[in-house]
Amino acid sequence: MTGCPWGEVAAPSRPTDPSGLRSYEVYQRLRVHEASPVIRPRQLWSAEFRDDPWPVLHAVREHTPCYRDWIGNAFWVTRYDDVTSVFVDDANFETRTRRWSMELAHRGRDRRHEIPVTGAETRRIDGAVEAVTARVLDAVDRTRPVDLVREVLAPIAYDLVAEAADIPAVDRSWFVRTLLRVGRGTAWDPRWLDDARQAFDDLSRYAQELLEARRHGDGDDVVCAIARQAAREAPATGDDVAATWCETDHDTLVGSLANLWSLLLAHPDELARLGDDRRLWKLAWLEALRHSPPLMTASRWTRHEVERFGMLIPAGALVLCSVGAANRDPRQFADPDEFRPGRKDLCQREARGQYRADGLASTISPGTGAPSRFPAVPEDRPRSRFALVRDTAVTVSRQVWSWAGSLSSTVQPVPGPRAVTDGGVRMCWSLPVHVGERGAR
Amino acid sequence: MTALGDVFLTGDLWGSRQHDAPLRDVFPFMPVGQAVDMGADEQGRPIIDPRLFDSAEFRRNPYPYYRLMRDHHPVFYDRLHNAYYVTRYDDITTGYFDEAGFNTIPKGSSSGVLGNTQLELSGIEHRRRRNVYGRHLVGKALTRRVGAIRRLATEMIAEFAGPRPGAQVEIDPLTGRRTVELARVFANDFPIRVVCQVLGVPDEARADFFYWYSSMMLGLGGSDTQRQGVEARQHLEDYIEELVERRRREPGYLYDDDGGIIGPDIITELCTSVIDGDVMSTEEITSNVALVVGGGGETTRGAILNLWYLLLQHPEQLAAVLADDALWDAAFHETLRHSTPIGGQPRQVSHDVTLHGVTIPAGSLVHMVDVSANHDERVFAEPERFDVFRHDLYSGKILRSGYRDEGRCSHMAFGVGPHLCPGAWISHQETVEGSRMLARYLDDVRIEVDRMPKDLDGVSLAPLGLGSMRELWISFVPRRDVNP
Repeated sequence: MTGCPWGEVAAPSRPTDPSGLRSYEVYQRLRVHEASPVIRPRQLWSAEFRDDPWPVLHAVREHTPCYRDWIGNAFWVTRYDDVTSVFVDDANFETRTRRWSMELAHRGRDRRHEIPVTGAETRRIDGAVEAVTARVLDAVDRTRPVDLVREVLAPIAYDLVAEAADIPAVDRSWFVRTLLRVGRGTAWDPRWLDDARQAFDDLSRYAQELLEARRHGDGDDVVCAIARQAAREAPATGDDVAATWCETDHDTLVGSLANLWSLLLAHPDELARLGDDRRLWKLAWLEALRHSPPLMTASRWTRHEVERFGMLIPAGALVLCSVGAANRDPRQFADPDEFRPGRKDLCQREARGQYRADGLASTISPGTGAPSRFPAVPEDRPRSRFALVRDTAVTVSRQVWSWAGSLSSTVQPVPGPRAVTDGGVRMCWSLPVHVGERGAR
Repeated sequence: MTALGDVFLTGDLWGSRQHDAPLRDVFPFMPVGQAVDMGADEQGRPIIDPRLFDSAEFRRNPYPYYRLMRDHHPVFYDRLHNAYYVTRYDDITTGYFDEAGFNTIPKGSSSGVLGNTQLELSGIEHRRRRNVYGRHLVGKALTRRVGAIRRLATEMIAEFAGPRPGAQVEIDPLTGRRTVELARVFANDFPIRVVCQVLGVPDEARADFFYWYSSMMLGLGGSDTQRQGVEARQHLEDYIEELVERRRREPGYLYDDDGGIIGPDIITELCTSVIDGDVMSTEEITSNVALVVGGGGETTRGAILNLWYLLLQHPEQLAAVLADDALWDAAFHETLRHSTPIGGQPRQVSHDVTLHGVTIPAGSLVHMVDVSANHDERVFAEPERFDVFRHDLYSGKILRSGYRDEGRCSHMAFGVGPHLCPGAWISHQETVEGSRMLARYLDDVRIEVDRMPKDLDGVSLAPLGLGSMRELWISFVPRRDVNP
C-alpha cells in the first residue's frame, strides 16, 4: 500500500510495477468552436434517440466526429472511414466478448470461428432454409392480418439457429427463449444481466446433455462439430457450446429481415421492382442493412493510449463505433437517408476495412464478423458469416414474397425500426400486414 | 403455430420497451432514508438500477442507495454509464494513496471547460505545479490573510445587515426583521472575492469573475450548457491574458493586516515561476486560475450554505456553537462530513485491480464516492445524524495524510493523499471566519420556511441531498450593539 498512514486497509491486488504516473495532460481544452451547441449529451441516451437516432447522429458526425460522451463515458466515432479504421486496427482497439460484459468471460470457449463449426452451421442452414421458411409460412393463417415479423421472419430466423444445432422440435421454443434471455444480458439492465447469467447456466446444462448424447455420433450439426473439434484437446463442455451460441450474432439476420420488409412496405414501388430476381433482392438487403442496420454501434476498447481522430484517447476507454452514422455518411453515400436499392455508390461486397476493391464503400455490419483480410476464399472453406446471413435473408425474403400474393401494412405509417433499450438492437419488432390472395400479382 | 410457439407473440422477450417509463415513475420520491425497491438478484442481493444516478430521487435522497452499495456492492459496475463506483471509506482511502494504481487522468471531465490543470497530473509533475500556488493557501501565508478574509466578510455583511441595507433586503416595518437569501447576499460572492484577492484580480473584475465562474461550473462534465462554460473560459482567458502581461511588468503582492508583504499574489507567482526550465504559458496560467476560481468558489459557497442550513435546523447545536466560538471548527467539519458539497473524485485504474472480488479492468473510470465514505457506518456511527459533538470525527488541522486515531477519523470531503484539495485550508478559514462574522452581526436567525423547498409532506424542509443548497432564505434581526 503506497503511503497510506494506517495499516488495516486491505490493498487491492496490483502488479509490483507502479506504472501509470503521467507527466502530461490527456484531455485537451475545448475551444469555443469545438463545443457544439447543437448536441446535448443526454440526447444520445434518451427514448427519442432510441426511436429516431438520425438527427443526433448526423449532428455528431458533422460537428464532432469523435465525440466525447461524458454521460456514457465513451468516445463515439461516427464517420465511415474512422469506423472502418477502428475495425481493422486490432493492435490498438480490443473487442471484448459478450461473456465479458456478462461477467462470464471464464465460462467456456467460443468456437464459432473454427472452420469445422462454421462449416457445420453453414451447411445446416443452407440445407434447411427453404424447408423452415415453408414450414413457418404454412402455419400462418393468411386470412387474417399477419404480423410479418413476429409470426414469420423471427420464427424463421431463430428456427434456423435451432436447426443449425439440430435442436429437437420439442425443445425449440424453450431453446429460443433461453437464447433471447442470454442475448439481453449485454444490455445495461442488471435485472437482464442476472436473468441472462441464469439462462447461460440453463443453456450450458442443456448443451452438456446434447454433448453426452452426440459425442460419439457422426452428426453434421454445430454441437457435433464442437464435440469433434474439442476432442483433439479436451472433451467439449456444455460451457463451450453455450459460449459459442452466446457469442454468435443472431440479431443481424432477424433484424435485417425485419428492417428490409419494413422499408419495402414503406416503398411499395421498390418492392414491386424486385420481382423474383435474386440479384435485386440482394441489392435491396444490402441497402436495407446500410440504411437501417440492426446493430447500430460496435464497442471497442483501447488497448493503450491512442492518438486518433484529433483526440488523445486514454487506455481502456470505450470507443463506440457508430455503424448507423457511418452507413449514412454523406462522404460515402449520396442522399444517405434515402432507401435506394441498387444505389450505385454502395459496394456489393462485404466490408473489408478501408480497402475498397472497386472504390466504393460497403455497408458496415458488425455482427457478421471482422472484415476478412483475405480477398479470396478457398473453395473448401465455408462462406463468411456475412455471406451466409445475406444469402439466407435473400432466400427467405424471396420465398415470403412468393408465398404472399401481395403485402400491405395494416397501419400507416409503416412501423419502422426502434431500439428497445439504449445501445440495443434497432429493428422493426412488429409489422402487421394484410396478405393478398395467392397469385394476386 | 410453429415449433417456436408464441415466443415472439408475447411481449416479455421480444420488442418490449421496458426502459421507456419516465425516471420520476421508476424512482418516485421516497421518504428520506428509504430506498426504492429495485429488486434482488439470484443471491438475494439488492439490485442497483443505474438509471438511479440520473434521477431526481437520487439527488435528493442519495444516502440509502449508497448504503445499499456499501453493504452489498462495495465495487459497483454501472454498465449504463460505463463506470465503477467505490463507496467504502477504507477502499477510497486506499485508492487515493495509490497514486500509481488509481491515476487522475479522468479528471478531464472538467478540462474541456477549465483547460488542462494540475488535476490531471500525478507524481512530481503534479506536485511541482501545485506548489506554485498551493503555498498561498496554507500555513503562515494563510494565517496572515485571515484578517483580510474577515474584513471582506464584514464588508459584505454590512450591505445587508448594516444601517443602509441594499435592495436585496426585505425589512418588516413593524419588527425590523430583515429577510435575505443568503446565497445571493453573501455565500455566492464571498468566496469569489477571497479568491480574487488571493489571485490579485482587481476589484472591478469581480462581477465578471462571478459570471465566468458560474458559467464554467454549469458547463462541467457533460452538461447541456457546456458551450456556455467553454465561452466563459475563453472570456476568462481574454481577461487573464492582459492581466498576465501587466503582472509580468508590475508584480502584485498580498499584504497582511499590518501592511507587510506576505508574498506575490498567485497570478504574479504563476507568471514568474519556472517549471522545467520555462515559464508557464498564458493558457496554463488561465487553466490554473480557472481551477482556483472553480474549486475555491463552489465548495466554499456550498459549505457556508449547508452549514447554516443544518445548524438552523438544529437550534440546540447552533446555540452551543454561538456560545462557544471554538465549536465553529467542529461544525464546519461535521457539515462537510454530513453534506459534502462535492460528491467525489474520479480516478482511472492503471492496471487491472481486483477489489471485493470485482476485477476492474485497466483504464476503467472509477468514481471514488466521498459522499458515501463520509456516511460509512464502518467509520462514523449513525452517519445520517448531524451532530457537531460527535466523537468519531476528527476536527483538527486538515492533514494530507488524513487522520485516524483514538476512534476519530477525518472526513473525506477534501479527499486525502497527494491530491487532497489544495484549497482545503483556505476554504475552512473562509467558511468558519465568514460564519463567525455572520453570527456576530445577525441575531435571532431563522430559516424563512415559507420560501424554502419542501419535502414530500409539503411542510418539512427539503433534505440537502447531493451537492449544496441553491438558495437559503433567512430572516434575522441586526444586532444593535455592533455594526458591520
